[in-house]
Amino acid sequence: MAESPVLILLGREFRSAVRERSIVVNSILIPVFLYPLLLWGLFTALTVVEGLAERARSRVAVHGVPEAHQELLDSLRALPAIELVESTTVEDAERRLQAGELDLVADLEAAGASSPGLAENFRVRLLYDRSLERSRRARARAAGVIERYRKRWLSRRVEELAIPRAEVVGFRIDPHSVSTGRQLGTLVLSEVLPLFIVVMVALGCFIPAIDTTAGERERSTWETTLILAVSRRDVVVAKYLYVAALGFVAGALNVIAMFVTMAPVVAPIVAQTGEDFAFSLPALAFPVMVLGTFVLALFFAAAMMILAAFARTFKEGQGMVTPVFWLALVPLLFGQGSESTLTPATAAIPVANVAMMLRDAVRGVYQWPLIAETLAVTLGIVVLCLLVARTMLRFEDFLIGAYDGSFWRFLCERTFGRGAASRRRVGRALT
Amino acid sequence: MVDGGGGVLGTLYRYELRMLLRDTRTIAIAVVAPLLLFPVLILLAREAERRREAVIERATYRYALTGTEEDFAYYRVQEALAIEAFDPDTAARPPATFLHDRSPNPDSLVRAGAIQVVVEGLAADEYLRVRARELAERPGEDSAALAELAELPEVPVLRLHYRTDSDVSRAAFERLQERLEQVRRQQRDSVYRAYGLAIDLSELGGLEARNVATAERETGALLGVLLTPLLLFLMLSGGSIVAVDAISGEKERGTLETLLTTAARRSEIVAAKQLAVVTVGIVVTVVNLANLFVYIVLDLIELPQELAVSIGPLSLLVLLALYLPLTVLVSSGLLLISGWAKSYKEYQLYFLPLFAVVFLPSLAVLLPGMELSSAIALVPVAGVAVAVREVMLGEIDWPFLALAALSTGGAAWGAARLTERALSTERLISGTELDQADLAGGPALFPRRVLRWFGLLWVVLLVSSAWAGESLGLVHQVLFNVVGLFFGGSLLMVRAYRLEPRAAFALRPAPAAAWPAVLIGAPAALVTGVGLAEAFQRFVPVPEEVLRSFGQFLGAGELPLWQIVLILAVIPGIFEELAFRGVLMHGLAPRLRPVPLALAVGAIFGIFHVSLWRIVPTAYLGVVLAAVVLLTGSIYPAMLWHALNNLIAIVPVELGWVSEDYDLPMWSYPVASAGLALSFTLLWWTRRAAGKMQYVGTGPGGGRP
Amino acid sequence: MITVQVEGLAKTFFDEARGAIHAVDGVSFECRAGAIFGLLGANGAGKTTTLRMLATILRPTAGRARVMGHDVVAEPEVVRRSLGFYSASTALYPRLTARETLEFFARVNRYPRERVGARVDELVERFGIDRFESVRVEKLSSGMKQKVSIARTVVHDPPVLVFDEPTVGLDVINALEMQEVIRALRAEGKTIIFSTHVMSEAEKLCDTIVIIHGGRLLASGSLEEHRRATGKHYLEDIFVQYVREGG
Repeated sequence: MAESPVLILLGREFRSAVRERSIVVNSILIPVFLYPLLLWGLFTALTVVEGLAERARSRVAVHGVPEAHQELLDSLRALPAIELVESTTVEDAERRLQAGELDLVADLEAAGASSPGLAENFRVRLLYDRSLERSRRARARAAGVIERYRKRWLSRRVEELAIPRAEVVGFRIDPHSVSTGRQLGTLVLSEVLPLFIVVMVALGCFIPAIDTTAGERERSTWETTLILAVSRRDVVVAKYLYVAALGFVAGALNVIAMFVTMAPVVAPIVAQTGEDFAFSLPALAFPVMVLGTFVLALFFAAAMMILAAFARTFKEGQGMVTPVFWLALVPLLFGQGSESTLTPATAAIPVANVAMMLRDAVRGVYQWPLIAETLAVTLGIVVLCLLVARTMLRFEDFLIGAYDGSFWRFLCERTFGRGAASRRRVGRALT
Repeated sequence: MVDGGGGVLGTLYRYELRMLLRDTRTIAIAVVAPLLLFPVLILLAREAERRREAVIERATYRYALTGTEEDFAYYRVQEALAIEAFDPDTAARPPATFLHDRSPNPDSLVRAGAIQVVVEGLAADEYLRVRARELAERPGEDSAALAELAELPEVPVLRLHYRTDSDVSRAAFERLQERLEQVRRQQRDSVYRAYGLAIDLSELGGLEARNVATAERETGALLGVLLTPLLLFLMLSGGSIVAVDAISGEKERGTLETLLTTAARRSEIVAAKQLAVVTVGIVVTVVNLANLFVYIVLDLIELPQELAVSIGPLSLLVLLALYLPLTVLVSSGLLLISGWAKSYKEYQLYFLPLFAVVFLPSLAVLLPGMELSSAIALVPVAGVAVAVREVMLGEIDWPFLALAALSTGGAAWGAARLTERALSTERLISGTELDQADLAGGPALFPRRVLRWFGLLWVVLLVSSAWAGESLGLVHQVLFNVVGLFFGGSLLMVRAYRLEPRAAFALRPAPAAAWPAVLIGAPAALVTGVGLAEAFQRFVPVPEEVLRSFGQFLGAGELPLWQIVLILAVIPGIFEELAFRGVLMHGLAPRLRPVPLALAVGAIFGIFHVSLWRIVPTAYLGVVLAAVVLLTGSIYPAMLWHALNNLIAIVPVELGWVSEDYDLPMWSYPVASAGLALSFTLLWWTRRAAGKMQYVGTGPGGGRP
Repeated sequence: MITVQVEGLAKTFFDEARGAIHAVDGVSFECRAGAIFGLLGANGAGKTTTLRMLATILRPTAGRARVMGHDVVAEPEVVRRSLGFYSASTALYPRLTARETLEFFARVNRYPRERVGARVDELVERFGIDRFESVRVEKLSSGMKQKVSIARTVVHDPPVLVFDEPTVGLDVINALEMQEVIRALRAEGKTIIFSTHVMSEAEKLCDTIVIIHGGRLLASGSLEEHRRATGKHYLEDIFVQYVREGG
């Protein structure tokens, strides 16, 4: 029994793909190397920034500290990040601040008060230069010290006046999140994963779709393929399956790579915020995600190949397909937010419906009828695209690369200007 | 009778632009489409965000009350909701509707999302019991937290239960919390008043901050930070439209060879193309900035603060003088990759790395405490970025400005020269690849693949240490990395490419004089390395915490001394050498001359030590060890050197002879440098005595006739 | 008059796996004005590399070459100005019209500016380009492109013309046309260096035939001289005999 021609063609496509540098880089090397590299870069940058910030000491001039508040000066002096600088007057200090020799001027004055027991009240004026990062930091550092001192001083006053603390406090408020780590992890994953899968599958289809159509034309292997003893349908099916498969692989690889690299690093960082995140997925989410990735790959492969098929060179193909990529991302903007789920209406919007289906799945929500609708809509579009492709293949002028490489011109001429124009094109392309 | 050079340059330039303008499709996609697409995207994104907020805002929040002090909670919540309903300062935001839900078991309802907040009123002691129970369930938490709680005054507590993973629940919680805090403040102020502290609390030790910067200065600071990265981004993407066609496109269409056979000079060709790239880059940048301006006028983009731009004529001139070399650098860089790429597709592969190399340094302007009067002025792009910020703040520091402009200009000139050279490099013009390595396979292919393998090892190292680093402990981690990863990977490479093990690992006998050289050199190199690392830390300081945690990690296990020596000195000495100075160097040797080879091996060795502050000393050690292997032709002296290095670095601290933060005396650095020089003189001498370069197969020069 | 002198010209490529590859290995010859000089060799014999070195696209590893008395290494621009180079891989800019193409190359080759217009008019008429002079090159048929390409090669009126396998991929009519053009250029007194692996072409056109194989020059002389030296009549047999002896 003879081997299926589709399989032989598919095998050839894959073999070329593995040897094509731009495909290997985009589909395999970037997922493997980019995330670790990014991670490393991020950490290195953070370390440098932290180190630089630690080293930078804030030069602060303090004026007019009232006798009763000398303690404030001591607590400022105790902070290694602050360097107290002498200056003669406040005006002088302000001038030096503007000249960049100082980062902050703290000007204290006795404020007095109407109430007894508050005779030593004081006021602090901080002069800083908001346009300078070091001055802003100096302000934050000094303000922290002063604020703490102010609280201490106030509570001492309260004690002196014998006001019961319990009455001052009244009651306390204690926020308590009942979300489990798993729920928080799910929230993050449900926002990130669908978006990521859509983008990565689209990117994964991008180059193969152009390479296998416009690229073949450019390399003049297109005619070699056309004269093979296989039906054109087989050729198209093989190419289509190849693009979809690569899109699927790229999407899956990227998601896995990101998960493997990021999870152990992001988790402890997030944990520092006081919440413990647990990244895990419900078991049923995996098949739904695989299904979603698969139909997305089918969709992008079909949409991109139809446009790229008209292009005569790789560059042209790229120009034609790029808008698809952007347009596909637009629906993703909608339907975000932790409360929204798939509805009969959103399930009819291509790409967005799959993204929402994936998000529901990550959160453990499975609305089977709507999932069915999503799949039906997406596959419907795919079938439509394939029908268009089949129609296109009937036109010889398409096969030999007329229409100036444009899908748009093809539509215009085929629907409105049948006849002379396109025949002329055939004539020219054949000479 | 002959036209001047300017005429040729002008002709090349004009035709370059004419051809670009005729490429309507490229212009439509690269210039016009983004202009139309971005407003649409911005509008859609805003609309999506608005809808999302409306959903949350319009919601009716359901809450429930519970706890031993439910009544107390009830009254406080009522007060809070009264503020919410009647507070005048919520004009911007309509008051939210809260509905009291009386179903039993409210906690599970919050979890299920049926209600948004549960307010649990608890007496102080009851609250303490609850917290104690919770803390006991989570052993990771600090027990000090509980002690702290017990210190607090005994007042009732309102616990607000909500869900952080639900937008609506979070919004409900935030509002309720805000209002409850207001209730609390009002209550407190009335207490103070009752005791005679009749004063607004904000006046006590009142803190007032006054900004001395003018609006112009602030705008200058903001623009100074944003301008360079923004312009770089626009220039890079705009110039790329021409650059890709300029050389790699010509190669692909076969017109480059035609052009090269004309009487135009290479330098004229490069200059004309560079002018075209600059022209289009500037045009695209201006168009985009105008576009941005339109968005701002149309209120599509909101500005963070009042803008007041005032740049004096001098500053403007200085800015132009700073951006000129930067513009040239961008165009040179783009043309360089266009020259190296053999096709349009290949150009695109190189674009992202180039983008990173040119764009990222401009972010140096964001680093805390970064000032132009430092080494940063010597870094191309970064120096200009920092200089621009200072100029925008009205600070003009001529020598350093000149330095920044010169460093970037120098880089631009270098890139332009490289591009010119690419136009004379046969391999790059004629497209015919003399790819005999593919035919020969096996060992011949290894030099081309070796970096890929080490890249993979690096990724595995990084990922494995991220997943299991902490939990493995020192011994297992060293064994896994050094023996499993480095040595195992090396063996795999030797097998996969059928390398000759003796050559690949440099397992050759060493000259006798090498051994005393090692004994002198190892401590000397360690000391000079420490000095180098300290000098580096002047520029890039390391956070205290990072240093401390590494020290703790090394000293973590209370291992016996012999184990420490084995794990940290002997094993790395043997296996890291086999991998880096063995296989890696063997793979890189056919492609590099000895000095770049040693530098490359050292740099890669450094990068394998991951954290920035360890890269410098380890890379230095790597260069030194590579030089040792190059000079002796043998791996064994390098093994001993490496082991000794680690031994001297660890043992004195472990035995408590010196403390961990021991500083070397200043005199030790010159002494060590002299020792190192002596050691290498010895090695050099043995090499001369042998009469040839010992490391076989070194450098493209070595193989050439 | 001797217009091109080549002495011991060599080009070595370096390859990671094989080491040095001697693409051209010490080739020497001389060409005269008003004569066609044919380089005959199989694919990969070193013809294109030699011609590229003459056109200063590649830099020789050793040896010297002079065109109109100018050294290819020392004065590459002057050499290129007195040289027209045509090969299958020298394509035209697709988005320029035929006329613009000629103007562009005339000016880039420093043809006196005031005479560019007249020179282009002349060539447009001579090669019958007038029918499509304002059509972009990308829309031309291959025959039309060939005409523009030849006109492009001679537009700056160089004394030396290099044709590297000019008839590869052309049909009989176009190939014959090309041969006519080359003969006509010889009649104008140009030096023509012409490489091919088609024996009949060399037989018909060349005044001197040089046989090159494996980067080395095996024999040089007119067809009659070769016939006398080998005792064979057909160039094909002559070529094979030289290659056998030399290999």
